[in-house]
Amino acid sequence: MPYIAELEKAGIPTVTIDFEDQDNMIHEEALMRGVPQVRYIHASRTLPGPKDVDNIIGPILDALVRPLTEKEKASGTWQPPWKRIIFEGTMDEAEAFFHQTEYIPHPINAEIAKYTDGLPVRVPTEERVAEMLKGTSHRPDEILTYQSDKGPRKKGEPVMFHPRNWTATVEKVAACAVMAGCKPEYLPAVLAIAESGCQIGSTHSFGQWLCISGPYAKEIGMNFGCGMLGPGSVPNSTIGRTYEIIARNLGGAIPGVNRMTSIGSPFEGSRCGAENTDALPPGWKGLNEERGYRKDESIMMVISHVNDGIRGVQFSPGGYRAFQKSGHGGIARKLGVKGIPGPHNWLEYLIPEFWVGREGPKTIIMVPEMARHLYDYGFKSKEAVYEWLWKKSFMPVKQYRDFSWVDLTTNGWLGVEPTSGKHWKELPDDYLVPAGGTEPSNFCIVVGGGDEEVSHQLSGHRFFTDPFYSIDAWR
Amino acid sequence: MAEKVRCISPVGNANIVQTFPLAPRLDKIDGKNICLSICGEPDITIALEKKLKSDYNNVNWTLKKTYGLYPIGLTDEEMKTTDAVIQGVLW
Repeated sequence: MPYIAELEKAGIPTVTIDFEDQDNMIHEEALMRGVPQVRYIHASRTLPGPKDVDNIIGPILDALVRPLTEKEKASGTWQPPWKRIIFEGTMDEAEAFFHQTEYIPHPINAEIAKYTDGLPVRVPTEERVAEMLKGTSHRPDEILTYQSDKGPRKKGEPVMFHPRNWTATVEKVAACAVMAGCKPEYLPAVLAIAESGCQIGSTHSFGQWLCISGPYAKEIGMNFGCGMLGPGSVPNSTIGRTYEIIARNLGGAIPGVNRMTSIGSPFEGSRCGAENTDALPPGWKGLNEERGYRKDESIMMVISHVNDGIRGVQFSPGGYRAFQKSGHGGIARKLGVKGIPGPHNWLEYLIPEFWVGREGPKTIIMVPEMARHLYDYGFKSKEAVYEWLWKKSFMPVKQYRDFSWVDLTTNGWLGVEPTSGKHWKELPDDYLVPAGGTEPSNFCIVVGGGDEEVSHQLSGHRFFTDPFYSIDAWR
Repeated sequence: MAEKVRCISPVGNANIVQTFPLAPRLDKIDGKNICLSICGEPDITIALEKKLKSDYNNVNWTLKKTYGLYPIGLTDEEMKTTDAVIQGVLW
């Protein structure tokens, strides 16, 4: 849409083709870009292309020549009403106000919460928000800005919240923290989440999950043990929850209007865990040190979880232990180490399924004991594991070509394959390319969780937008 | 009488948007330089390109094509000579 807006403003008439269910999103985007009346035509999601084109070619050309209406010729300014105090009344009335819903037609056809993530919230009274603000030294009226120059960000620039590119004060973030049920000491973590702009999925199903690295996790009593991404821990649950409340309120993200994740993801919840830095094997860095922060600095990782689900718990109860302790069971049979005690590289068991669904680097959450097994096996750093995983990801071009996303990422195979520097179309079918991304450092390991031996594998482009934000900067 | 509370708005601040009229439309398409800007969706766009070129051969069609998410923009020079743009499909 920015491109279409640029063309229209430059005097070049346009017409855009899109799908009917995207109408709301186009309206929103067009308004935000200053061309609210942009003309577009609906394509079909199901008709074969030639039949579809027969139907739409007339309207497409008509949109280029049909004279403008008065509305289309209009110019002006637009800003929704804004107030610091959004509601005054009794507490019962305030509760009713914040729990309002609105009917969203197709593709939702249901009521959607106007201010919440769909669950009950604590009403953000002035007093409660003032109490929450004791958790930070930043001024309530300070506009939220980037706190560092890391990645594409520029320190001091205002954070624009996704998808409407709205801005926010520290006080508004504190209001969201109150609504989520946070305590004041959680506010620095919530502000770090807010600094990310809380991007939400557009058309494909993805959510975000959050992971804290550094001493702050212990300081506020987070659970980085058993069930670290599950229910029960107040800081884990409430800090995680702020992501969605911020996205809804500070970003204006409305399901079915401007966030079109077709099925959604359980991580659109959202969940916040923490790395168990005490349990890292010797020489394995925490996420903070991996990204150039000191060990005593605390950071928030805001990571996209894209498309291909959560894989985990492939080991039967006791199956993993039998494999490592004495070389018994299915895992040992598969790896050809029957009767041989560990340490064994358990990742070998999982690796064949890593790139069955789609290509890309992986984020692996593993319990401390399993990290220790990898260390004992010979991986003396996380980087050594990343390197091994990346090398294991190499597959022939013929096989790589059968993924779907690669049609986009190779620009229809017209681009250059990064490891060879050659054009994709020059490479023979048996040429080996990495399915695990362009470099080993795109993998990510988080050590945390309980004692039962499980790991979760998530997709996610860890360094896609350098998703690490200082918590200390918001204290 | 129940005590009154005042609630802080959690809603973000929208910047003022200056809105613009659409660009004037063409008087006709014959003889015009019209750019077909394609992003993915080859099932539609291949058929569209073919039909535009065969059924409307009095138009000077130009093409910008990518399989990625973002359209390939017109150059400054092309901006001066392009009369209209058809964008398909917008992602």
